[in-house]
Amino acid sequence: MDLQPIHPEPKSFLRRYVFSLDHKVIAKQFLWAGLLFLLFGGTLAMMIRWQWAYPMKPVPILGPLLLSKTGGAITPALYPAIFTMHGLIMIFFAITPILIGAFGNYTIPLMIGARDMAFPTLNMLSFWTFLVSQGLMIAAFFQKMGAAAAGWTTYPPLSDSVGTPGWGQTLAVLAIFVTGVSTIMGGINYVTTVIRFRAPGMTYMRMPLTVWGLWLTSILNILFVPVLGSGGLLLLLDRLFGTQFFIAGASAVNGGGDPLVFQHLFWIFGHPEVYILILPAWGILCDLLSFFARKPAYFYKGSVYAMVAVTLLSAVVYGHHMYVTGMSPLLGKGFMTFTVMISVPAEILFVNWLLTITKGSIRLEPPMLFALGTVFVFGLGGLTGLFLAIMSMDLYLHDTMFVVGHFHLTMASASFLASLAGIYFWYPKMFGREMNKTLGYAHFWLSTVFITLVFTGQLVAGYSGQQRRLFEPYQYQFLHHLLGVNQWTSYFAFALYFTQILFVYNFVASMFLGEKAAENPWQVGTLDWATPSPPPHHNFDVVPLVLRGPHELSDPEVIRSLGRDWIGQAEALPDERPVAEPARAAEGGRA
Amino acid sequence: MTKAKRALQAVALSALTLLPAVARAGVVVAQGLGLPPDASQDGHKIDGLIHETLIFIGIMFAIMVAWMVTACLIHGRKHRAEYAHTTPRGQKLLVAIVGVLVLADAELYLKSLFDMNDTFWNFEAADQAKDVVRIEVNAHQWAWQARYAGPDGRFNTADDIVTLNDFRVPQGAPVLIQLTSTDVIHSFYLPNFRVKQDAMPGMVNRLWFKPMETGEYEIGCAQHCGVNHYKMRALLTVLPKEAYDRWAAEASANSARGFDADDVVAHWGWDWKDPKPVEGDVPRAAEQAPKSQNGKEG
Ligand SMILES: [Cu+2]
Ligand SMILES: [Cu+2]
Repeated sequence: MDLQPIHPEPKSFLRRYVFSLDHKVIAKQFLWAGLLFLLFGGTLAMMIRWQWAYPMKPVPILGPLLLSKTGGAITPALYPAIFTMHGLIMIFFAITPILIGAFGNYTIPLMIGARDMAFPTLNMLSFWTFLVSQGLMIAAFFQKMGAAAAGWTTYPPLSDSVGTPGWGQTLAVLAIFVTGVSTIMGGINYVTTVIRFRAPGMTYMRMPLTVWGLWLTSILNILFVPVLGSGGLLLLLDRLFGTQFFIAGASAVNGGGDPLVFQHLFWIFGHPEVYILILPAWGILCDLLSFFARKPAYFYKGSVYAMVAVTLLSAVVYGHHMYVTGMSPLLGKGFMTFTVMISVPAEILFVNWLLTITKGSIRLEPPMLFALGTVFVFGLGGLTGLFLAIMSMDLYLHDTMFVVGHFHLTMASASFLASLAGIYFWYPKMFGREMNKTLGYAHFWLSTVFITLVFTGQLVAGYSGQQRRLFEPYQYQFLHHLLGVNQWTSYFAFALYFTQILFVYNFVASMFLGEKAAENPWQVGTLDWATPSPPPHHNFDVVPLVLRGPHELSDPEVIRSLGRDWIGQAEALPDERPVAEPARAAEGGRA
Repeated sequence: MTKAKRALQAVALSALTLLPAVARAGVVVAQGLGLPPDASQDGHKIDGLIHETLIFIGIMFAIMVAWMVTACLIHGRKHRAEYAHTTPRGQKLLVAIVGVLVLADAELYLKSLFDMNDTFWNFEAADQAKDVVRIEVNAHQWAWQARYAGPDGRFNTADDIVTLNDFRVPQGAPVLIQLTSTDVIHSFYLPNFRVKQDAMPGMVNRLWFKPMETGEYEIGCAQHCGVNHYKMRALLTVLPKEAYDRWAAEASANSARGFDADDVVAHWGWDWKDPKPVEGDVPRAAEQAPKSQNGKEG
């Protein structure tokens, strides 16, 4: 195979660090942009938690700064804007850029032995388009009638120009549309890169599972972000040009449209989105658990097929978000059936993780701890999903805090902790320095304990009946007694928030103070660790010839001949003749 | 190594200091949290399923955590890892665990399906009951309007009882509700009766329940519907049969006296929809939904 053409290393500062074509630089740009918005989104969450613990009391620190007009307190009109922007920011502008933009860009080429992405210019455009969408989100905050306030789900007619007037909502919908364009550009790039630029010998079944997760996520993005885009576009037409695609009932003039259609469009995207955000996390987990248990990932093929099955099924389960909208019982039963079915591949993955860490030689380094923490919160989140998948229980639990707790455990906590696992793991490669481990341990324990307490607190509130998105839940008699739970949940949330100072300090300071990282500090065999830390512009001096799967750890033969428990994917044993294509017979169970 | 150990100790210590906080939270949780009292005939079906699921996932979660902790504690750095991509024992375990989960899922699934068909979607049976109470609900920002047909049994006539945020129903009779919204989407939520249904503009949705215990119960809005979503609260009073009849007769006579044929906005009711839908058919109300009303008075 010919060497993949590589753009020459740029010399000017601007081309090198700003308008860079290098996937490694673009990954860092996404990482910074995502982390910054994670901080914004988290801060908004703290305001919500404050309001639930101390209704209508002035918010400390932030109140005097941002809400001087109301004496520092959150008003009923401001409150929907806060939770709406929190949701949108976290999903589209924090988790997505970190998990997909940063890890996707950084790891895919390095892990498959490519010198860069298939379309470096498109890659750069993807980031700059993303930055525009973030700018639109920020702009939404400064509009006269306030920011977007119709909920992250943006259901019409509430999200139309009568329900939520003003440019805040319009800009936020526009921002989602623009960020969708960016996601699709990135997705096309990732999908093509994996198909076309795997190093010789890097068969699909030798790809690290991180790459599998990111690749499947990108396929889902290409398929379903356009659906969200079309929904958003029609909504913009309704808002700006007086069309009535989604307006019905009394607010409609002459006939009108159907608000339920928007929900279908939204959730056809929205449910796959759950998997879009979790598949990269699953992939990272599969790899990290194997690396730090010093064992091959248990049942690699099973994990691959499970992730493929989840990808295929993800579009036909979305109706479980709409059980109480009044859709036909027949449709409801169909969606319930598929929803129960999609839990099977997730269960297979889960058991694979547990079997991966069984009989290992566990190294509880920070990335491993965060990976285990992810399994823990995802287990809790996944199991609580059962209540919501089953229709009759959903009759009671739908749109309560139980739903909020559930998806914050699966989507938010799991992807947050998995992102941290990934950051602690690839930091030495990305920045060429080690992060401080002591801070890492403290950060892990505090984060995992608090995040679990916060979202189980929400589960408890929802179980007791509290609806979501209430400015002041205690208007209801039957929710009076929940003040205590909500206050404690808030305390844990504040603690979680301030725990992140440990991370921010560690992340920034280690860039200057950290020990210089070795090429392969974790002693693993994937290609990203077979190049200097940080890698040169062209990643690999010689395009590697891949000989084996990503998790060949503790192979007795390797230990005998090399004296260590790992072997590189492109590393030949002394008596092994490098052949690019796997010889089926000789391969045995190794591939 | 020693550094890591010290870090672990520090973390364990800080976790210990957290324990009182956790314990305190536990006490709070113990103070009467849980499902609100069930005042309906069929709510126990949902509660039963919820409790069953809770026990099941509790066991699964405990197994998972125990497995993780054991795996990490007994096979540390010094243990030599087993080199295997799959093991026969592992595969058996995989099949067994997934099998147990699938069986449990299937059991819950079938029970729920049965309950939905038999009870929660069985509008026909509710409608055929002799003592059924039919109510039309018109949701708008930020209140619930109820309409009872009155003695003539027909909606949108002079003897209709129309109330705002005040629902009254007799004890022990099925209550069948058809509901719509005039502005945005709301969700009619009866925590004490374990049911919930969205009020969609342009659509008439249905729900039914049978109240068994007298008393006052809260109705909430479960779907974000704007600034005052949190205040969209109504009361449902379950009265003994005689008290309800007395109230209904009086209220109906009052509204017949105050009836104004020209007040079109007040006649937002619709002809009662056939309770027996063809599967896949959603009754539409676009024609009937009042066009002149602007739902912004709240
Ligand atoms: Cu979903
Ligand atoms: Cu409402």
